[in-house]
Amino acid sequence: MASDDFFDLSKPQVRRSMFFFALGALIGLAVAGYGLFTAQGTRSHSVPPEALALVNGRPILRSDFMTQVQTQFSTPFAQTAAGERRKVLEDMLAEELQVQRGLEIDLPSFDPDVRTALVAGVQLEVTADVLAQQPTKDQLREYYAAHKEKYVSEGVLRMRDLVAKHGAGPGTELEMANVQRAVAALRAGQPLDEVMRRYRLEDSGALMEAGHADTGEIFEFAAKAKLAPPVYAAAATLERGQVSEPIQQGDGAHVIVMLEHRLPVQEDYAAAADQVWTDYKNDAQTRVREANVRYLRSRADILLSVDALALEAQAK
Amino acid sequence: MRRRVWLWGLAATVALLAGIGYWLHVRSLQASLVREWPAELAGHPPLIRMAVGLARPLYAEHCAACHGANLGGNRAIGAPNLADPVWLYGDGSIGAIENTILYGIRSGHPKGHNVTDMPAEGRTHQLSATEIEDVVDFVLALSRQPHDQAAAERGRKLFYDTGNCFDCHAGDAMGNPDYGSPALLGETWNYGGDRLTLRQSIYSGRHGLCPAWIFKLTPLQIRSLAVYLYVESHPRAGLARQ
Repeated sequence: MASDDFFDLSKPQVRRSMFFFALGALIGLAVAGYGLFTAQGTRSHSVPPEALALVNGRPILRSDFMTQVQTQFSTPFAQTAAGERRKVLEDMLAEELQVQRGLEIDLPSFDPDVRTALVAGVQLEVTADVLAQQPTKDQLREYYAAHKEKYVSEGVLRMRDLVAKHGAGPGTELEMANVQRAVAALRAGQPLDEVMRRYRLEDSGALMEAGHADTGEIFEFAAKAKLAPPVYAAAATLERGQVSEPIQQGDGAHVIVMLEHRLPVQEDYAAAADQVWTDYKNDAQTRVREANVRYLRSRADILLSVDALALEAQAK
Repeated sequence: MRRRVWLWGLAATVALLAGIGYWLHVRSLQASLVREWPAELAGHPPLIRMAVGLARPLYAEHCAACHGANLGGNRAIGAPNLADPVWLYGDGSIGAIENTILYGIRSGHPKGHNVTDMPAEGRTHQLSATEIEDVVDFVLALSRQPHDQAAAERGRKLFYDTGNCFDCHAGDAMGNPDYGSPALLGETWNYGGDRLTLRQSIYSGRHGLCPAWIFKLTPLQIRSLAVYLYVESHPRAGLARQ
């Protein structure tokens, strides 16, 4: 009689309600359990198909294994022997175990090499998308227009930096008059060596190559680094064949003779396109790296000492 | 009444069991597709068919933007043709294709193909403008296109000497799949084999990119794409397409 009531849907029945309630709960639990134990990264009871082994829950991927076998034996994977594959598997298991041990003993906290490698790895990881993105031509042209100063060729010069040293001749006023005459002679086209000899001028020593005055080509930035600022400032304005006015310095009066001067030239977009592409990508990577650090700082619990706070304040 | 309820219950149970059985069968096939060594997949036509079926919409969504809906590539950005059997990296096997999809080319992933770029021989002043023209003529000669014979002869010397081209493209100009450097015999071109494009390639260099998909697609999706691309690029292998 009770059985008849169970199947008679026209009548309410407590046992039937309880039965379907229990059935629903069981199906729900089964689905949830399956999801819990088979979601990517959570499987621990069996090896997922893409992996060859699990080491404390971490997979050794089949694709990595194949690549390693081929690399190690320089043979297509299909042609490798079981012994070769076994050796690689053992090596990969050992590597994974040691990596996990390294994390266990907190190797990154004290080994500078590990720290460097981790930083490099994280930076690569966060910039991977930027690296893979191809900027459009419009983006590159816009970047070029905004950073034109980057695409100027380096100027090159050949010059002599001559000096009439203090004490090499009569008093200061007479010294200057002597140098003025030397400048006039050079501008009149008299030979350099003769003028140097007659007016007691010598190379300043600022631009030397193997013990002699460097008369070869020098990049602008190198000349700027080697010459005193007033001397370089005078040199920068001279063109080929020109001679500067005397420039008073601590060691004497300098005269610049410009033998050749190729001024920096603005490269047009077509010539600079490749460098624009590189710079655009580098800038994008830098922005992503900096944003990543800002994000990490925003979620980190950083306590600064008084000294560190002072430094931070200075930086701002 | 009671009998009718039993019949409905039986039908529902059978349908449920059939559904679960089919689902388990598909899951098992998918697991087999991922678990099988790539070289052995050819012996499993159902797996190949399933992979191709899974891969088509994936290709359209993730790959077609660069490589074209018909796999023909895009010379404007140097995205290679995926429908021919010429592969820049590796031997063109399913395993090699899968590796490239997983980790990419110059993708920033440490396991990606990050070995080298085509250097900008002109921009770095490795070769002068005249020398670049000579090398272009040599490459035109290699690919049996109209060229200046004397310039090609000079270019041949530069190829093996100052230009250092042979280092990546190999002494026989057949390319090197370890570096992803293409053959120069004219069978296929990534960016184009005409004089203007060759000049641009040598002067400014090339650095094509392919993203690493390991964190964006599942292992099943990546394996399916690798199988699909292998099937499409190796029609003579006789693998069932659909």
